[in-house]
Parts: sequence; C-alpha cells; structure tokens
Amino acid sequence: MPYLLIFLVFWAYPLVRSLLDSFDDSRILGFSFNTTNWTRLFSDPFFLTALKNTLFIMVIQVPVMLALAVGLAVALNSGVLKAKGFYRFAFFAPLVVGTTAYSAIFRLIFNTQYGAVNQGLNAIGIASVDWLNQPGPAMAVIMMAITWRWAGYNAILILAGLQSIGQEVYEAAALDGASKTTTFFRITLPLLRPSILFCLVISVFGTLQLFTEPALITASGPGNATMTLGTYLYQQGFRSFNFGYASAIAYGVAILGAVVSWIQLKVLGGDNT
Amino acid sequence: MKNIALLGLTLIAGSTLAAPKGEITIWSWDVAAKALEATVPSFNKLYPDVKVKIVDLGNQNVYDRGLAGCAAGGADLPDVYSVENGEAEVFWARFPDCFTDLTTLGASKYIKSFPAFKWTELSVGNKRYAMPWDSGPVVMFYRRDLYKQAGISPTSIKTWDDFIKAGQKVNAKFGGKVKMGVIGNGSDDEWFRMLANQNGCFYFDNDAKEVTINQAGCVDALNTVKKLMDAKLLSVGDWGGQITAFKKGDTATSMFGAWYEGTIRSNAPELSGKWGVYPMPAAKKGGVRAANLGGSALALPASSKNKEAAYAFIEHALATNEGQIAMLKQYGLVPSLLSAAKDPYVAQGQKYWGNQKVWKTILDTLGDVPAARGTQFFQEARQIMVVTQADFISGKFKTAREALDSAAKQISAATGLPVAK
Repeated sequence: MPYLLIFLVFWAYPLVRSLLDSFDDSRILGFSFNTTNWTRLFSDPFFLTALKNTLFIMVIQVPVMLALAVGLAVALNSGVLKAKGFYRFAFFAPLVVGTTAYSAIFRLIFNTQYGAVNQGLNAIGIASVDWLNQPGPAMAVIMMAITWRWAGYNAILILAGLQSIGQEVYEAAALDGASKTTTFFRITLPLLRPSILFCLVISVFGTLQLFTEPALITASGPGNATMTLGTYLYQQGFRSFNFGYASAIAYGVAILGAVVSWIQLKVLGGDNT
Repeated sequence: MKNIALLGLTLIAGSTLAAPKGEITIWSWDVAAKALEATVPSFNKLYPDVKVKIVDLGNQNVYDRGLAGCAAGGADLPDVYSVENGEAEVFWARFPDCFTDLTTLGASKYIKSFPAFKWTELSVGNKRYAMPWDSGPVVMFYRRDLYKQAGISPTSIKTWDDFIKAGQKVNAKFGGKVKMGVIGNGSDDEWFRMLANQNGCFYFDNDAKEVTINQAGCVDALNTVKKLMDAKLLSVGDWGGQITAFKKGDTATSMFGAWYEGTIRSNAPELSGKWGVYPMPAAKKGGVRAANLGGSALALPASSKNKEAAYAFIEHALATNEGQIAMLKQYGLVPSLLSAAKDPYVAQGQKYWGNQKVWKTILDTLGDVPAARGTQFFQEARQIMVVTQADFISGKFKTAREALDSAAKQISAATGLPVAK
C-alpha cells in the first residue's frame, strides 16, 4: 500500500503530467490543449541536430568503447599480469570521481592555449588544435571524455563474464590445437555475448540520456555542435522555460528509446540473456 | 491609563517606523556582486541591524536558479535578486506572482529618477517588478601602448572599415600574436547584438510583437562581424578566455558594455595607465557610434521573509547617488540613475585610464543608443542566433541575409511571433 502510494506520486503522476504538458503551449499562461509542441518537434532544426549528435555518439563511441572494454577485460584476466587488484581499482576509479570535477579537468587539459594536450602535441611537432571552439574537435573531446569514464566500468562487467567461462573449454580447445586467436574469436567472444549485450544496452541508454559532459565541458557548443537530446531538453525546460515543449522532447526521447531497444531485441535476440 | 496610551502609541510607531533588521541574502555575479558589496558599508551606517550576505553565483546560474525557484513557487530564492534587463521579461510573463511589485513598497516616487527605457522591461502595466541598476553603453577599451607601437591613433578610427585597417596594422606589427578583440563566437553573439543595436535593429521590434532579426541593420551587423573574422582580427574565447586575453596582453581592444571597465580594472591592476577608451566605430561615416549591451536591475522575490530590509537595500544601492557612485568608483558600473550622471566624480580624469575622463566619454553616448527590447523570448532568440552566427562564419550560408532569414524562421517557430515584413 505505501509502495503503491509512492509509485503513484513519484512515477505515475509525473508521467501523465508531462504527457499532458506536452500538449500545452506553455508560452501562454494557463493550460490550453494544442499540438504545437509536437508539430514543432519534427521541424525544429535544433531538435534534429541534437538527435543527430546523440545518434552519432551512439554509433561511433559505443562500439569503440565496448571493443576497448573487451580488450581491457582480457588483459586483466591474463595470467601474466601482476597486481590485478590495483588495475581493477584503477579502471573503476573514473566512476568515483565527481562528474563536475572531471568535466572541469577535461576543459583545462583541452584548453587551446595552455592545455596539456596541445602542449603534448606541440612537443612532438604537431600544431595545436582549437579543441573546444571547433565543432569536430569538440565532439571528439566529448567522446574521449565518455570513453575515459565508462570503458573501465564496462571492462569490469565483461571481466565478470570472462571469469564465468570454465577452464575446461580452453583446455579442450588447446587439445584440438586451436591457436590463441582462434580461441578468442571462436570461444571467448561467443561466450561473452550475454555480458557484451548487457553492456551494449546500458551504454545505448546512457547515450540517449547523455547530459553531463556536453553540458559541462562544451556547454553544447561551439554553436550546437555537441548538443545532445539531454542538453536540449534542459535548455528548453529550464532556460527558455518551455515546459510543454521540453515534455514533448522527453517523450520523443522515450519513444526513441523504445524503438532502439526493440531493434536490439530483434537483431541480437534475447535467447541467452 | 496614560501609560497604556503611551505604550499603545509606541507600539504603533514601533511597527511602522522600526528600522529593518535581520539577515538578507542577495544573488548576483562577477563584478556586479562585488559592486553591491561596495554599497554595504554606507548601507549599514543607515541600517546597522541588517546583515547583508551577497552570493556570487555567476551570471547564468543566477538566471537558471531564479527560474527554477519561481517554478517551484518561490522556493530557495534570495531576498534580493539580480536580473539582466534583456532577459527580465520572461520572469514577469511566466511567473507574475514570483516577485514583489515594488510600487507597493514605495517605488513609485522613483519612476522619474530613471530613463523611461530602463523601466520598459521591468514593468507590466502599472506594476514595477525590479528597480533599474546600471546600463551598458558600448565603448572600445584599448591599449594605448599597443596602438602606439602599431602606429594607430584611436581618433582616426571612425568607421568599422577604419577599425579593420587599424587591425591589419596590428596584425602586421605583432605577427598575429596580438588581436583587435576577442569574440565569443559559438558561445555568445555579443558582437552581433552590439552592432545590430547600433544600427537600430534587434531580434524583436520594441512592441515585442514581431521578429525583426532579418532586417537591413542586422544584416549589415552580421556582415561586419564576418569581415572582422575573415580579416583575422579577432580571437575566439568565452568570458574567462577574454579576461585571460587582456591580462596577458593578447588583445589590443575590448569592445563591451561600459561595465567591462570594472572587469578590466579589477582583473589587471598591473596595466594601470596603459588603457584608454574611445567610442565604438560607426557602420558608415557620420553614423551612430553608440549601442547598449546588458545592464541589470534588482528584484525582490515575493517569498522573501524580510521584504522591508530587502527593499531598503535596493533603495540605497540603486536610488541614491551614494550607492550608485560607490559602485561606479570601485567597479565601473554605469549608473542609470539620472542624478548620479551629474555627480562631480563623473567629470574626473581616471588614473587607471591614463587620466582620461572616461565616464564622460561613456555617458555622452547614452543619448544616442537606439532602443531595443529583450522580451520574454530573449534567451531562445539568443541561442538560435549564437548558432546562426557560428554557422555563417564557418561558411554554411552564402549571405548574411540568408543566415538571418533562417534565424528569423527558427525564432518565429520558437516564439510564435510572426516575422516582420
């Protein structure tokens, strides 16, 4: 009973309320039912840019990060590595750092004039890059930041999957004379599928809601080159104070999320997850 | 009996004349916060029992948290709230009950004390939701020594074309190490706004009924910004980057609202005597050499527990020469209080500026500033224009007109206001 009450107040009410809000022109005081927000959504160049940027990060950054995570996990699992505990902690550490603090650090090291990154590039004879004031480089910084923060976390999850693979399959493969490479691609990867799939799903949803890095490192800039659905929603809701439109964006993102997860289930199959 | 009557009298008198006391919290940003701090000593002479706490949240944060507080029915708001004139109207339009109508506290007597254009964005009908504070007449702050080395005389710069010629001299002299200014391209559209306002053009018309951003004056402004960028006269930097640039001597000029005087002076005291001021160049010979950027006001949230003390503070800081001149002296905020402009201090030469009478130069432009109105959609229009300007400069549009037509269409969709014919 108390659970039901909490559910109604903190879950059902906001859902219904924001659906109602999305049909309200919040530029006019008082509620008036109309569909302006929804028609605006599909012709709004800012929304389309935010959508494009978000999908771009999803398609490029997520696979790269997961490949990196698998590599890290295999390295952490190898018998030759000493001080495993330390490395595991080190890879997990970025998650413990406050988001605001790490965003500020990224801003500093990618500063055009004084940043460590450009100093390093200059030292090996490469010209400075205007990281945060150019659309392409700014997007690259965002992707690097997210990868730095989340690759280790995914590696730890995949490592758990690795450790649940029994030694006997590897022994059998060795007896059959399979090479290390063959073993990895024919045995390790297929058996890791459930773990990787899990990481993929959470990363995709994380990307759909991406807010912190573009908000704090680049402020969605330059222009709107790194604006994501999350930052645009915030901008509309809390800066322009257009709650109706912000609700429509939020529902747009939710529908997109539903579509993406349906595709994932169809394509990747949920048979062994 | 007599005693009781007396007691009654003192009680009545006490309730109306008791000096305000207690603590008040004030939200502000950067130099504006420091300037308010400068009025506290004289305020406490009059009201010793009020403890003033000034919080510097940074400009964008004050705005964001103010809106959030209003949306939450006045929760977590300070007693005195700083708001930029240009972005003020969204508050009164969406949250008519969030702030106190200052006329209920006696602000009516100050209506004639400020220029009418300062009240426009702060009033709804007969209600006055905030008291005017400073204005931002735009001028060029320049480095005398760097101009001299490059062989430029500031009096020869009368138009933007002259400015570009001067900039080419600076580039030739310093090999591109020193620029003619810093622009927040990609994070702000401040140059566009200053130049558009100079040409009598803005995002919206002054009745806040139509989108006017694609009219001739704005097209000319955007073209000039691109010319300056193409000639490689400006470096790109946000607020903090601009401060670093003038501190390090990487820029020979800073164009901004006059309140930037305090930002330069308090951040680079070591450059005293090396700076000067001249009016902004005109679009064409003999044209307007004035514009306004920014300028703020103080409002009193309706949720304040200590309105009396809060109003006393606002009144002292903004409606007395003492308060306004204290802020001008220490942090260069240009008073919009009419009587303060006549204060002897304004006519004095300023040591930091090489003994130039900078305040006279600056205040003399005030009469030429074309009126412009932020409206409740200022932030939305600005976000669209920031992107449009960056896109135009990177070559995504063929002409400035095309870029501004696209911006006008987007602003119209975002605000529901028609594009002016």
